[in-house]
Amino acid sequence: MRFDRDTLRELLDSILRNRSRSILTGFGVFWGVFMLMLLVGGGKGLKELMEKNFEGFAQNTCIVFANTTSQPYMGFRKGRTWNMTYTDVDRVRNSVAELETVTPLVSEWGKSASRGTFTAQGSLKGVMPDYCMIETPKLIYGRYINDMDISGERKVCVMGKKLYAQLFPEGGDPCGQRISIDGIYYQVIGVDANEGNMSIQGRADETFTIPITTLRKAYNTGDVIHLLCFTAKEGIAMSDVIPRVRSILSHAHYIAPNDRQAMELINTQLIFGIVDNLFRGINFLIWLIGVGTLLAGGIGVSNIMMVSVRERTSEIGIRRAIGATPRMILSQIISESVLLTMVSGLAGIVFSVGILAVVELAMTEDGILKAAFQVPFWTAFGAALLLTVLGVLAGLAPSLRAMRIKPVDAMRDE
Amino acid sequence: MALIELENINKTYNNGQPLHVLKGIDLQIEKGEFVSIMGASGSGKSTLLNILGILDNYDTGTYHLDGKLIKDLSEKQAAQYRNQMIGFIFQSFNLIGFKTAVENVELPLYYQGVSRKERHTRAMEYLEKMGLTQWATHFPNEMSGGQRQRVAIARALITSPSIILADEPTGALDSKTSVEVMQLLKELNKNDGMTIIVVTHESGVANEADKIIHIKDGIIGNIEENRQHTAWSGPMVK
Repeated sequence: MRFDRDTLRELLDSILRNRSRSILTGFGVFWGVFMLMLLVGGGKGLKELMEKNFEGFAQNTCIVFANTTSQPYMGFRKGRTWNMTYTDVDRVRNSVAELETVTPLVSEWGKSASRGTFTAQGSLKGVMPDYCMIETPKLIYGRYINDMDISGERKVCVMGKKLYAQLFPEGGDPCGQRISIDGIYYQVIGVDANEGNMSIQGRADETFTIPITTLRKAYNTGDVIHLLCFTAKEGIAMSDVIPRVRSILSHAHYIAPNDRQAMELINTQLIFGIVDNLFRGINFLIWLIGVGTLLAGGIGVSNIMMVSVRERTSEIGIRRAIGATPRMILSQIISESVLLTMVSGLAGIVFSVGILAVVELAMTEDGILKAAFQVPFWTAFGAALLLTVLGVLAGLAPSLRAMRIKPVDAMRDE
Repeated sequence: MALIELENINKTYNNGQPLHVLKGIDLQIEKGEFVSIMGASGSGKSTLLNILGILDNYDTGTYHLDGKLIKDLSEKQAAQYRNQMIGFIFQSFNLIGFKTAVENVELPLYYQGVSRKERHTRAMEYLEKMGLTQWATHFPNEMSGGQRQRVAIARALITSPSIILADEPTGALDSKTSVEVMQLLKELNKNDGMTIIVVTHESGVANEADKIIHIKDGIIGNIEENRQHTAWSGPMVK
């Protein structure tokens, strides 16, 4: 089939002849594409926003809390309070070879810090250098805690973004300056810009991170550790390792092996898995609804083309009488359908891209985009391709009917 | 060989009860003739016209148009023959409503794949012949019946067909424009030597032709030579 300006003109003539009907029909397809693109973009953006919450958080982490026991065991009463100790770190590390990092965490809450006249509220986290494998800091200034800090029990701290903003409102590199927390002066060695909402023992942006040895000495925490965090080596399922860790710790602290309350193990892999599944489900729904709406639009086009063919029996008969072959009629009706779906569908794509651009504009803070809502180019391209196929399919039945119109019908239709 | 040669054409419609419409038609029409086919409704004249116009098939017999056997053609072949050899004029004009006069005239050339510019030039030529130059960009519903029929005639002529088939060309026109349209057809026949076949049930219209073929109950009754146009003495259209 040749396609030139002439053919296009012929098609436009037919489509524009019944303007309001064509527009209403096209609107069905337009809305279908618009909804699909908007949902896809929106879903993607939401997912990115959600993932932002987990930023800098190792996805295969397990955290162990000590809690009061719920069962009497080995002569101990129930409701006993117990604590993990530094020994437990080595115990777990040495007994379970599948673990990558095992690190303790000690924390102190509700501490006020000051620098000159500036004050801020935050929590203290005492860590080992390898804690960065659990919560990856996003350092905008300076460095993280290192082994020298640990062994020297140095009074140094890495501070969260919010604390930095409150204590150093003038900005600039704060490293080397001193701040006071509970009357103890710490030298600032870094600023962590991480703002993930998922973090251990307080938000990352309101936390002073200091060497675990310093915290131990300053606050007299002794041998106690508050949390034990560990990550599994690559390819190891966390759920396989957890029972072993549980049994090692239970054994060491005389806790009933089946006492779930005494020892809470939070498996982030599980949480991430749930979130992942959630979004997979949402995505499936998006496509189901979007494609469904689009399909309904396509059926609308097909329906209208059917009516149109019926109405144009005489016209098609005339065309046949003066020399149009059935094939020409077929291609004309299909082309009309494709043109109608394509134009309204592309309008839908353009419109949804516009809306998503506005959403992105609204989500931009200080020139930094929080989450990309825009549909990827290839998705839009795929949608356009899908529209063409849809147009052909929608035009198929009407055009076959049109093809069966005999030229004699034109004369009977008086 | 004559331009149109029909030999023992039979046609039966099988809609429920078989209806033998044409019962052995033998007919020869020479190039340049102006013939009218007359008959009451149900006589089979429309069926004959459809067969002549390659719009319908026949069961037995042979039909030669311009030396070509027209039998069991594919839809595509039939469409091409219609496009190249036959110009149709219908009772209800059958112009396409959303196209202007000139676009309607161009349409047969569009299906021949003639370029837009040439199509337009040729269509304007024929419209001028019909005296419709200033109506070229008007839509059919803005024109009178006579003007519409003249547009239809221009459309029939534009492919320079071998024959013009007119099915009750004055059926939807008043008496004055009927006379004008028939005059136009006569001139086409006389000046350009166009072969014209008019199907009608009006004696006055049939009288304008040089030869009147009476068809009755599916067979040809008699063929009246009418060079002097004396077959009917009343007004052309009642």
